[in-house]
Amino acid sequence: MRKQFKDTVLDLAGKDDKVVVILGDISHFLFNDFQQKHPDRFYNMGICENALISITAGLSAQGFHPFVHTITPFLTERSLEQIKLDMGYNRFGGNIVTTGASFDYAWDGATHHCYTDLAILRLIPGMEVTQPGNKKELDVLIRSQYNNGKPTYFRLSDHGHNVDMPVQFGKGVALKDTGAAVTVMTAGPILGNVMEACADLPVNIVYFHTLKPIDHELIARYRHTKIIVVHDAFGLHEAINEVPDLRTSYHGLPDQFCVWYGTVHDIRKKIGLDPAGIRAAVQARLKG
Amino acid sequence: MTPACREIRHNILNASRVSGHGHIPTSFSIIEMICAVYDTMRHDPKNPHWPERDIFILSKGHGALGFYAALAHYGYIPADELKTFGAFQSRLGCHPDRFKVPGAELSTGSLGHGIAVAVGMALAFRLQNSPRRVFTVIGDGESNEGTVWEAVAVATHLKLTNLTVMLDHNRSQIRSLPIPNPAERFAAFGCDTISVDGHDLEALKGTLTKPVTNTRAVIANTIKGHGCPTLANNVFEWHRKSPNPEQLVQLMGELNAETV
Repeated sequence: MRKQFKDTVLDLAGKDDKVVVILGDISHFLFNDFQQKHPDRFYNMGICENALISITAGLSAQGFHPFVHTITPFLTERSLEQIKLDMGYNRFGGNIVTTGASFDYAWDGATHHCYTDLAILRLIPGMEVTQPGNKKELDVLIRSQYNNGKPTYFRLSDHGHNVDMPVQFGKGVALKDTGAAVTVMTAGPILGNVMEACADLPVNIVYFHTLKPIDHELIARYRHTKIIVVHDAFGLHEAINEVPDLRTSYHGLPDQFCVWYGTVHDIRKKIGLDPAGIRAAVQARLKG
Repeated sequence: MTPACREIRHNILNASRVSGHGHIPTSFSIIEMICAVYDTMRHDPKNPHWPERDIFILSKGHGALGFYAALAHYGYIPADELKTFGAFQSRLGCHPDRFKVPGAELSTGSLGHGIAVAVGMALAFRLQNSPRRVFTVIGDGESNEGTVWEAVAVATHLKLTNLTVMLDHNRSQIRSLPIPNPAERFAAFGCDTISVDGHDLEALKGTLTKPVTNTRAVIANTIKGHGCPTLANNVFEWHRKSPNPEQLVQLMGELNAETV
């Protein structure tokens, strides 16, 4: 998905001279061709995430459409106040694109894990929050939102799902609707595990790539069902519960640091977000 | 002190008395700095969003009362409006809001943000091949923030000669984490650095017109409460204090007696 990010932004930069890329000392090799084609609009500014966000806001203030990119926890959790004030409160938008969440850097430990980004950025007025599940979703969402002047968050993943569907910013998708009494709602790359887990289970499956604004209308259509939110981050469950009078439960992260290494698959298995763990949780919801 | 800078300080004292809000000493320390910028940069009070204007950002947003009084002097807002400072429906909050205050380019308050946004704006003007410039005033307390130094490091690495960082070196941080050698620090980061009497308006204006080879850092040596010994000698007591009627008379008297 990271290569798709570069390809999409490179294409946009060729058509729009307001596109500027700011890297926090990551993905610079990937962006070699961008740098060669647009050297005046490419900046590897180093490891100073707070300043990167403020500088992005300053570029936006003067009419540019900047993309700022580095590792998720450092650009979101560490720089939350810069995003809140310089981009949100001041309404100097721009595109925040991160990599590594939730557990793509599993082997690097809890300092590099990130699962609060979606939840905390949702709380900033005017913010747009997306978790593209694969390359197509990323490409469509970037192209539709990059130049609207709002602060927009794109969370990349190295492990996208392979479910193809129509993509429109702000719209969820009912991937499976059998009129079942239980609905599984999920977002982003974990959809792959959800589809495998629920392949033969009597449930509806509803998917989101946009967490803010969340598709209230689609969620409300499943109000009469028991909803289980399956997500490898915080934020989706809270967003869904903006719709009143739902019966929801959450299957996702424990209230503890994930102090293991290995791969994203190892972490997901440990916390029950592998297909078997998700299946067990959904089956329990079917019974409960 | 020039008559204009004295008049601005008069307005600050009156506004603080009426509104009950303070930060007078820090507002007094930045008056000549702000006037030097507005006397130097391209701007049009009748058209605050003039596309060719230079940019001023008060990164130390708690100096808002001084900023507003200066904006009133230059014709951006009515001087009479200063008495609404901090009131519920006022445009003039205790930290500036860019959507409410003509001439305010950035809503500031949390320290260490304005200078970094200023770097982004200066970079934008370079990309546009624009002659527009960016000026920002930061505080010595603000310079405790790591983002100040992140921003300066990026600015000098990019050699943003269209950016001027003015440090209000009023030594307020002697109570916690002082910046005892700011000129050396900014120079070490690569800034084209000059130290100046922060209450000498002409000297300040001279620093802003001097050609530079990298981001300009002006170390303005200032006095909190400049012009009123009662303030200058009791800066911590007066940090956020508003004068009562008797104190207002006393401070006005001190200000009028100030001859420098």
